[in-house]
Amino acid sequence: MATLTADGRVLQVQLHGDAVRAVTGSMVAFTGAVQFKHAGAGGGDGMRAALKRRVAGESVSLMECSGSGTAYLAVEARQVAVVDLVGDTLSVESESLLAVSPGLTLDVKFAGMSGISSGQGLATTTVSGQGQVALMSEGPLIALEVAPGQPLVVDPDAFIASRGQLSTSFVSGVSWKSLVGEGSGEPFSIRFDGAGTVLVQPAER
Amino acid sequence: MAYELLNSKVVAVDVTGQRPVLSRRGAMLGYSGRVAFAPVHGQGTGVGGMVGAALASESVPMMASTGDGKALFGHRGLHVTVLDLDGSAPLLVEADRLLVHDAALQTSVQFLGQGGLKAMVRGMATGQGLFTTQVNGVGQVALLSHGGAFPLQVQPGETVGVDPQAYVASKGQLSLDLSAKVGWREAVGRGSGEAFQIHVTGTGTVWVQASEQKVKA
Repeated sequence: MATLTADGRVLQVQLHGDAVRAVTGSMVAFTGAVQFKHAGAGGGDGMRAALKRRVAGESVSLMECSGSGTAYLAVEARQVAVVDLVGDTLSVESESLLAVSPGLTLDVKFAGMSGISSGQGLATTTVSGQGQVALMSEGPLIALEVAPGQPLVVDPDAFIASRGQLSTSFVSGVSWKSLVGEGSGEPFSIRFDGAGTVLVQPAER
Repeated sequence: MAYELLNSKVVAVDVTGQRPVLSRRGAMLGYSGRVAFAPVHGQGTGVGGMVGAALASESVPMMASTGDGKALFGHRGLHVTVLDLDGSAPLLVEADRLLVHDAALQTSVQFLGQGGLKAMVRGMATGQGLFTTQVNGVGQVALLSHGGAFPLQVQPGETVGVDPQAYVASKGQLSLDLSAKVGWREAVGRGSGEAFQIHVTGTGTVWVQASEQKVKA
């Protein structure tokens, strides 16, 4: 079974004859016999998925790393973190996805109208199943807990991923002040209700 | 230690009368004591070395720091890695990644591509260049990288593949081979993005950065 290990700004992928899907062009080095080939776009396969991606604008180009050895993956010296999934679902901002271990399913989920104005796309990528997901962020990831009765509001540009029983809604702080240039600089936010964890980065895209 | 990392991006270097240093021109951030800075021209020795460096575009303006004191060096917020060279094997590095090194070390431009015309085409296509700078002697070197450089050990019978853009430096009895696997997939935009690789074999160490960003001027 392939294992993903985060080491600061680099992800180490141990391959034992299996395959891991990762963002195209993210390999910086490898040892052993590892091959890289195009593996389509993230967000599932087939016509329906392709259409969803087109509509959602939520698309990452993926490659398949296969063979046996160690591959080192990194993008733009961004911080890497690994999340273990045990049959649950992780919603990820597609630009933050670095690699997924075999057996996990990628899909695109519509998140409502919130994406349009924030520029983050209309949908988020979901990863589900049993395995490991490698995420990347500008600076170390911060995990924020959401509990019933304690909703969390985050900046869409800082959002990386979320898991748990969460419902998202869109908070707008637009008023006449924003129109005359006196806004606070936080016109749109995402609000999470329910129980779960939200991962954010200490930077805005 | 004559080279001390103040943080991950700034190195402090002790300059003494016996130990002048060469650095990237303009990379000095501050100094204490009596340190003088003067430009130096050309890498390698003699006219041949200078012409070689110019041809290979392996030429970054350098300056010499002399005197008695301490000087700080850094460049564009890039991470700094300090290496000790014991003289047993040369260090291969691209000229623009050399931040500062002991003046006692000898630098020369080396032809990287073996294999004639084919290798030359590869070198141009990867933007890696056909030439690297070879650092010989005993002393210390500070290298630049985006996000920090991590070492990978190379053992006989094992190949380490490195993305040309992520390659920082290598040391030891190594042979570097630029390999290109450009097929129809790359032509139609369905490539893995890993068509070009440097294959490293032999015994030694390769330093790789966690990014595909080159050093900007």
